[in-house]
Amino acid sequence: MSLITVSGYGLLAAFIFYTLSFFGFFIALAGSKFSKRDPKEHKQRWAKIGYSLSVVGFAGHLVYFVARWVYGGHIPVSNMYEYMTFFSLTIAFAFLVFYLLFRSPLLGLFCTPLAMIMIAYAAVFPKDVQPLIPGLQSKWLMIHVTTAALGEAFFAIGFVAGVMYLLKTINFQSKQKSDVRQQRGVEFTLFVILMVVVFAGSVFTFNSFGYQAQFVKKTVNVVGSETSVSEEKINYVLPPIVKPYQSELVKSDSFLGLKKPLFTAPAWMEGVNAGRKLNTIIWTILFSAIIYLLLRLVLRRSLGSAIHPILKDIDEQDLDEISYRTIAIGFPIFTLGALIFAMIWAAQAWGRFWGWDPKETWALITWLFYAAYLHLRLSRGWHGLKSAWLSVIGFLLVMFTLVGVNLLLSGLHSYAGV
Amino acid sequence: MIDNTKCECGHQNHVGTVLCESCGKPLVEEVDSNEILEMRYDGVARRSQRANPNILDRVWNFFSSVKVAVYLILSTLVLSTLGTIYPQENTFFDIDPAVFYEQRYGWTGELYYVLGLSRTYESWWFVSLLVMIGMSLVVCSIDRVLPLYRALSKQKIAKHPQFLRRQRVVYQVEPDFSERPQAQWLEQFAARLKKRRYKVRSENGALMAEKNRFSRWGPYVNHIGLIIFLIAILMRSIPGWHMDEHYQFPEGEVVALPGTNYYLKNEKFTAEFYDKQELAEHQQLRGDVVASLYETKAILYECTADCNNPLKEPQLEKVHEHDIRVNSPLDYDGLMAYQVHYELTPKLLGVNVSVVDKQQNKRFDKFRVDMSNPADSYQSGPYTLELKNYYPDFAQDVNGRPITKSSQPNTPAFIFLAKGPGLSAGGEIFIYFVKDIDKQTFRQDELNGTLAYRIDISAASMEDVEISMYTSYLNIRVEQAMPFIWVGSFIFMVGVVMGMYWQHRRIWLRIDEGRLLLGAHTNKNWYSLRKDVQWALDGVGIEIEQEALDNKGGNSIELNHS
Ligand code: HEM
Repeated sequence: MSLITVSGYGLLAAFIFYTLSFFGFFIALAGSKFSKRDPKEHKQRWAKIGYSLSVVGFAGHLVYFVARWVYGGHIPVSNMYEYMTFFSLTIAFAFLVFYLLFRSPLLGLFCTPLAMIMIAYAAVFPKDVQPLIPGLQSKWLMIHVTTAALGEAFFAIGFVAGVMYLLKTINFQSKQKSDVRQQRGVEFTLFVILMVVVFAGSVFTFNSFGYQAQFVKKTVNVVGSETSVSEEKINYVLPPIVKPYQSELVKSDSFLGLKKPLFTAPAWMEGVNAGRKLNTIIWTILFSAIIYLLLRLVLRRSLGSAIHPILKDIDEQDLDEISYRTIAIGFPIFTLGALIFAMIWAAQAWGRFWGWDPKETWALITWLFYAAYLHLRLSRGWHGLKSAWLSVIGFLLVMFTLVGVNLLLSGLHSYAGV
Repeated sequence: MIDNTKCECGHQNHVGTVLCESCGKPLVEEVDSNEILEMRYDGVARRSQRANPNILDRVWNFFSSVKVAVYLILSTLVLSTLGTIYPQENTFFDIDPAVFYEQRYGWTGELYYVLGLSRTYESWWFVSLLVMIGMSLVVCSIDRVLPLYRALSKQKIAKHPQFLRRQRVVYQVEPDFSERPQAQWLEQFAARLKKRRYKVRSENGALMAEKNRFSRWGPYVNHIGLIIFLIAILMRSIPGWHMDEHYQFPEGEVVALPGTNYYLKNEKFTAEFYDKQELAEHQQLRGDVVASLYETKAILYECTADCNNPLKEPQLEKVHEHDIRVNSPLDYDGLMAYQVHYELTPKLLGVNVSVVDKQQNKRFDKFRVDMSNPADSYQSGPYTLELKNYYPDFAQDVNGRPITKSSQPNTPAFIFLAKGPGLSAGGEIFIYFVKDIDKQTFRQDELNGTLAYRIDISAASMEDVEISMYTSYLNIRVEQAMPFIWVGSFIFMVGVVMGMYWQHRRIWLRIDEGRLLLGAHTNKNWYSLRKDVQWALDGVGIEIEQEALDNKGGNSIELNHS
C-alpha cells in the first residue's frame, strides 16, 4: 500500500473517530437519565470513552500527516487542502490538552464537530500532493504555518467556549429588546457555522456524484497589429446560476431542470475564478437558508433556544474561564506564528517584512482585535457575556482571514487562485 | 479631595493615592464600606490623576487611558480593513491610478481612489493613528510603571485589617493555638508557602507571602517592544536606511548598483521546471508548468578605484558570491539582493576564435572577441588583427556605407587590418561577420575578395560561442532597521509571556489577639490563588472548601488586572 493511501485512510479514521467521540460525549451528557448507573459515574465513564475515541482519531490524524509528509517530501501545509486538515489537527490537539485541564465533556461535544467541519471544508480543495514552487521552498513555511495554525486553534476553542457561554446564559424566553438582540446574534453565529457546513457538504456531494459544468472564457489580446485569442477553461462543481463574465457555456449537466446559467457575473469580476466563486457563494446562501428554515420548522423554535437546554448543568464561570485561558495561550502563539515568523519569512523570500497584502493585513486585524480583547478584559473588566461575544467575533475574523480573504477579497477581482 | 495624605500608619503618600502605599488602608472612601477594593496598580497615585489638569495634563490623561488605547486599536483595525477592499496602488506596475481604478472597478473604484483608500497605509490619517498608538504606549507606561514600582518596593508586612477584609480572597478564623503555639503555627504556614516558591516575610504576628512580582512588568515590557518596533518603522525614512530598487542583470554582464559602491555580475541564471509526472493530477490536466528553481549565480564586486571617473574603467574587486534563490537572498554587509523575475533574452556576449590559414589548413591560437568591448588588436599565431571598425548591429545606409543600427550585438561585424605571412606588408582589410547567417546575407567572402581564399577567422565549435540566455531581475535592498524590528518583536514576546503565564500573587496574614485574618490578591487567575491558600491552610490543619475563600462581601465583578 502506498504511503499516500495510508495517509488517506488515516484521515478517514480521524473523521470517523471524531464522529464516534462526539456521540460518546453526547451520551455522557444526555444519556444519564436513561442509564441505570449513578449519573455521575455514567457521565465520567462515557466522557472517558469519548475522550479515548478522540485520542484514537487524533492518532489517525497524525498518521495522515506523517505519511503525507514522507510521501510528498515536504511538510503538508502548502495548499488550502493541507492547511485546513492541519488546522483541524491543531484544533483536536488544543482540545485534547484543554480537556485535561477542565474535564468538560461539553467541550468535547462542541470541539469534535469543529474539527470535523474543518476536515470536510478541506475536502473542497484539490487534494493531491503538489510539488513546491520556489517561493515555498523554505523551512519558514513549516515554522510559520504550524505556529499560526496552532494559535488559531486555541482561538477556535475560545470561540467554542464563548458560543457555549452565550447559548447557556442568554435568556431565550425574554422578549426584551436587549435579549432579543443577543438571541439574534447567536442565531446569526449559528447560521454562519451552518453555512460552512453546507458549503463543504454541497461541494462534497456534487463532487461525488460527478456533477460538471464547463465554461470557456475568451480573451482577445492585441499586440501591435496582431490579435490573438486566448482561451481559459473554467470548471464548475456546483450547477451554474451565474456564468463568468464574457464566457461561453461548453457543457453542463442538468440539475433539477437547471441547465443554463440564469445570469452573468458583473464586468468588474474579471478574475478567472470570480464567476465560479460568486456562484458558490450564491448556492451556499441558498442551501443554508433552505436547511435553516427546515430546521426551524422541525424544531418549532430558534436553533439557539433548541440547544440552550443541553447546557443546563454546566457552570458558566468555567466556560468564561476556558474561553479566556485559551485566548491567553493562543495570543502569543498567534503573534509569533502569524506575524513575527511571517515577517521573518517575508523578509527572506521577498525582501520586505510587511507588504499590506490582504492576507497579511487580515492577520494583523485579527491580532489587533485580540489585543483589544485582552485590554478590555484585563483592564476594563469585560467578563462574561461581553467577553464571550468578543471571542466569537474574534474567531469569525480568524475564519475570514483563512477563507473569506481568498473567496472575496483577492478572489473576486484578481487572479489569485483558491 | 483630601489634602492630608498622611496615613494613620505614619506613611506620607502622594496626592491622589487611593490605598496607603505602606499599610494599604483605604484613604479615599468612607470608612466602613465592605466593597472589594479596587486594587489596580495597588491604588497608587498616577500623574494622570492630577487634581487640576492643565492642557498638557489633559493630553497626558488622554493618552494614558486604556479606554482611549482600545479606541485607537479598534480604529486602526477598521481603517485597515478598508485598504483590503481593492488592491492598493503599489500592487500594480505602470498604472495611472486616476483612471485605472475607475476603468477596472467602475464608480466604486473611482470613489475608492478619490477617498485616498487606494493608498490607505501611506495616508496621513493612517500614519497618524500609528503615531498616536505609539504615544499612547509611551505615556501609559510612564504613567503607571514608576508609581507601581514605588508601591511594590515599599510594601509593609502588616496590612491594615480593612485592607485585608476587603480583598477578593479573605479568610478569618480563630485557630487552636493551644497545641501549636502561634509562632510555630506561622512557621509551618510559611514553610508550606515556601514550598510553592512564595517569598515569605514576617514580623510581630503578621506575615506576607509573595511570588512572581516580575510578571507585573510584563505589560510594560511588551509595550516597550511595540514602541521599539514602531520607532524602527519610522527610522526607515532616514536617508540611507532604506533602499528598494529593481535592476536587470543579463547573464555575464557586470552591472553597477546605483547609490552604492558595488557591482553585481550574473554569472549564470537557471530556471528549472518540474517534470510532468512530478505534478499533481489536476495540475497535469490543466497543463500547468511549475517551476522548481530560479537561481542567479551572482558575484558581487566592490569598486576600489576610478569609481566615478567616466574616462576610466572602474577597478573592481570581488568581495562576495552567492547563488541567489527565492528563499536565499545575497546578503553582504547590509546589501541584499533578491530573486524576483527573469526573462529569456538570448544575446551574443563573445566568441573564442582563431585565424585559419586556408591553404595549409592550419588553425592558430584562440583569442576572445568581446561583443560589447572589443580590444584594439588581436594576435593569433603569426597573424595580427588590428581593429579598424566595429558595427555591433550592422546595416548599410542608402549609399551602401556600413552603419550600426544600435549598440546591441544583433549583427556584429568587425573590420580588421590583417598582417602576417603571405599578406602585403601594409596589411589587408578583412571583414568579419560573427554569425554564419550574417556571413551569407552580407556575402563576407565576396567582400574580402581574394583574401577569403587565404585566411579566415572562425570558431572551432559551438562551445567557443558565449551566449547570454537569460536576464535576471533582482531586487536590491538595504534595510538598516531590520535588527530593531526583530529586537522589538522579541521584547514584545518576552513581555507577553511574562505577563500572561505568571501571575503576581500575594497573601497577607495577621493575628490579633488569637484571631487570624487572611487576605490574598493576584492580578489574574484567582482559581489558582485560592488553591494555593487552601493548600497552605491544609498544612496547618485547617481544611476548607475553596468557596469559603471567596469574599462575597462586595458586589464582586471579577477583575483581573496588572
Ligand atoms: C497594538 C497595540 C497593543 C498591544 C498588542 C498590547 C498588548 C498588551 C498586552 C498583551 C497586555 C498584557 C495583558 C496582561 O497580560 O495583563 C497589555 C496590557 C496593557 N496595555 Fe497594552 N497593548 C497595546 C497597546 C496599548 C496602548 C496603546 C496602551 C495605552 C494606553 C496600552 C495599555 C496597556 C495597559 C495599561 C496594560 C496593563 C493592563 C492592566 O492595567 O491591567 N496598551 N497590552
